[in-house]
Amino acid sequence: MSATRYLLAVLLLALGSASPLACARETLRVLAWPGYADRDLVKQFEDRYNATVEVTFVSSDEILWEKVKSGQGADFDVFAVNTAELTRYIDQGLSIPLDLSHIPNTRHQLPRFSNLQSIPGITREGRVYAIPYTYSAMGLIYDRKQVKKPPTSMAAMWDPRLKGRVLAYDGSSQNFSMVALSLGIKTPFQLKEKDFRRVAKRLVALRANVLTFYTLPEESIALFRDNSIALMFANYGTQQVDQLRKAGADIGYVIPQEGALAWLDCWTITRGVRNKRLAEDWINYTLEKPFSDALTQRQGLANTIEPSPSADKSDKIIWLEPVEDFKMRAELWTRILSGDRAGKF
Amino acid sequence: MTEPENSKSIKFGIAFKLGLILAAFGVLASGVSGYYSYTAGRALVIKLAEQGLLTSTHVLGRRLSIALGEVANDVRFLARIPAIKRISLPSGNLPVESQNVLADSFAAMLSVHPEYFQIRLISADQNGIELVRLDRDRGKLARVTGMDLQDKGHYPYVFQSLRLAAGKIYLSEIAINHEQGAHSGLEKPTLRVATPVKSPTGGNSAVVVVNVDLNSLFSLLKADLPYDFRLFLSNEAGDFLIHPDASQTFGFDRGRRILVQDAFEGASSIVEGKAQSAVMTVSASERQPDKVLAAFIKLPYGDTASNRFVILGLTQPLENVLRDTRLLGLNIIQMVLLFSIPAIILAVIVSRAMTGPLNMMVRAAKRFSEDHVTIDLPLERKDELGLLARGLREMQTQIQAHLSELYESQRDIDHLAHHDALTGLANRLMFNARLEHAIANSQRTDKNAALIFIDLDSFKEINDSHGHAVGDKVLKAVATRLKGMVREVDTVARMGGDELIVLIEAIDDPHVRFVAQKLIEGFRPPIHVDGKDLQIGISIGISIYPRDGNSPSELLNKADLAMYRSKKAGGNTFHFYAAEMAPAKTG
Repeated sequence: MSATRYLLAVLLLALGSASPLACARETLRVLAWPGYADRDLVKQFEDRYNATVEVTFVSSDEILWEKVKSGQGADFDVFAVNTAELTRYIDQGLSIPLDLSHIPNTRHQLPRFSNLQSIPGITREGRVYAIPYTYSAMGLIYDRKQVKKPPTSMAAMWDPRLKGRVLAYDGSSQNFSMVALSLGIKTPFQLKEKDFRRVAKRLVALRANVLTFYTLPEESIALFRDNSIALMFANYGTQQVDQLRKAGADIGYVIPQEGALAWLDCWTITRGVRNKRLAEDWINYTLEKPFSDALTQRQGLANTIEPSPSADKSDKIIWLEPVEDFKMRAELWTRILSGDRAGKF
Repeated sequence: MTEPENSKSIKFGIAFKLGLILAAFGVLASGVSGYYSYTAGRALVIKLAEQGLLTSTHVLGRRLSIALGEVANDVRFLARIPAIKRISLPSGNLPVESQNVLADSFAAMLSVHPEYFQIRLISADQNGIELVRLDRDRGKLARVTGMDLQDKGHYPYVFQSLRLAAGKIYLSEIAINHEQGAHSGLEKPTLRVATPVKSPTGGNSAVVVVNVDLNSLFSLLKADLPYDFRLFLSNEAGDFLIHPDASQTFGFDRGRRILVQDAFEGASSIVEGKAQSAVMTVSASERQPDKVLAAFIKLPYGDTASNRFVILGLTQPLENVLRDTRLLGLNIIQMVLLFSIPAIILAVIVSRAMTGPLNMMVRAAKRFSEDHVTIDLPLERKDELGLLARGLREMQTQIQAHLSELYESQRDIDHLAHHDALTGLANRLMFNARLEHAIANSQRTDKNAALIFIDLDSFKEINDSHGHAVGDKVLKAVATRLKGMVREVDTVARMGGDELIVLIEAIDDPHVRFVAQKLIEGFRPPIHVDGKDLQIGISIGISIYPRDGNSPSELLNKADLAMYRSKKAGGNTFHFYAAEMAPAKTG
């Protein structure tokens, strides 16, 4: 009798000491872009959900793809990816559908983001794979001193009066889509053979009107400042607006009437997620006001719950989509940038 | 050498301990000084190597500046070729024959400068159309003409050069050349050096651009650097442009920054503009954990007014720097070992010198306590050991003196116990012992022993008439005379009063008779005491062992009885014991 009681006591003790292990802190592995998961905000999440968050930062689409793909999604739980890129993750089954009931904060998102079916690439067969988090529209920045009347159309970049005072972006896909949009082509991401020549010749004409093409936001700021630039295609959108204003430039920012291309970064969950509910809690948490506000205040990026001060809700925003032939666009663009004359296209 | 008896209980003697401590101290001292000279030497070697590396970096930097200056001179030279002046304005065209003259000049320049990829004349008009272009194409020179000439007006090396005054030089950022149609220079790290061509009407009509192959430029510059030096070059922001691992260069071109300040933390002070140079010892990378010495310098780049710079660095494996110090270390180890041997020998000698006298004293004390023998001591030493030895010797002398006194008094006590105080003859106690001894001897040798009992005749009268003092003197004289008449081995004892006994061993009756007669005759002359001649006679009784008895008392008793017979006979005679002398007891 006493032996049984003793055994029971030992068992109970063992159970008692094992229970903290059972509820040990979960680890959430986040893969994101710099500025998307600042330490102080992550800390609050850790405290609230009694979890440990490991954040890994990426700096390009290629690196992001490599990191997720190499482990077949098993190395991370949740990651941020833009809508144009998301397609290949869904195609390869690396990204899995979400349970929206676990992400109630989606209700507070702006109408533009709450109608998920209207955003190309994030739903498939009626299931939602990603939740928009931040976006940036590629509008036009102009110097108020040199350009008295705010430009309304992309065509301003070809304005011979601004020759040598225009800055454009050194990027193949966006430039083709942007020019197609300015030419009124309905499917800027799916160009037909005949469209390519038109677009290429138009880009050659743009080349003749610009001072140069930039790559990085910092580079664009320096060029804008040092070369009395009048008009700039803002590939980095409000980030550049923010930086230029901080640098003391008197600028304006417009979304042209043709519409502005925009990248939209979304949170999505990997196939290898360890605790899906925790990953969904993370997404829900990033949609809370303090987190989203920090994104705007610290990074100059627009969030999805408050209207951007530099954009109108009537603005026509065209989310980036995968293009018909990335390689062909890149090859053509290289030739254009290298200086091949119009006659060669 | 005789070890002290209890040496077994001394596990490690003082000599061993002292020697061990001294030797350990000696070895430790040389070891510690060796270690410190090694570390100091090593630090000095590293410091010198760092300075040497920094100097090499500066020299390399100067060479780079000179090389860039030479490129600039070449570009200026090309911009002054007279044919270039024939560009017609405002069309920006150049007559064909002038183009050919320039192409020949460009080709000549390219052929003597293998580090040049491409030389071009680019018009200020027509969107920066290339007017004359010569490319290097896999070892050959290729002139690009017609529709293959490209518009370059949107490149900074064109629009920025056009803003310069004549003779000024534009130096581009070092970047990967993505310009399609650049032949050999395509996708290669390239530096563009350009200068404007002044038009006769004022302003700039064109630009001459030379594309320099960064890697071949540096392979010339670093040709005579030591084999183990590695060269690094980064731009102002720290992006690697030259790195021993080519995959670490131009990271920004692939959307990924690989920065010098990440690989070499010390270089961040240059990037941040806080320092002109930085020297450090670090692990070159995670993949290459071996430590290297690294020196980085900020090198002005291009126009001095522009404040542009590049960061040039050299590294050298610490291993190679320390190769010499390893030799130093080995030498020091040898030296330490070499110095340890004399230290150990010295320790042995010193401990011996110290403990030799001590052992000597230990032996002396031991011998003294065992045998009361004094042996050599280090008395002549002028140190504490000498003092100790002298103290020991003094103690020995005193002890010896005390001991002799003790022996003396012991001898006296012994004499008193066994001898008669007055006459100095053996007393009864000693006599009994001698008698027992004689009996035992006789039993063993089967020989007789004789007891000669002597009583002085008329001693009572002498006492009565002359006093006890004279009586005592008489007894003394008697004792002396008696002793003079027997052998040394024979025992003469005083039994009390005037009774004396002579014990003679190994004797037969005739001899006893002879001795007795001799004694009687010996007392015939008077004894001279206090000026008086006193006549003393003696009565003798003799008993013989074993004939007359086996026990001392029996023998004494029988000799006494025989003496009474002599007394009765009027003295001066002797009698052997006979049976009839026994007192009749029962019938």
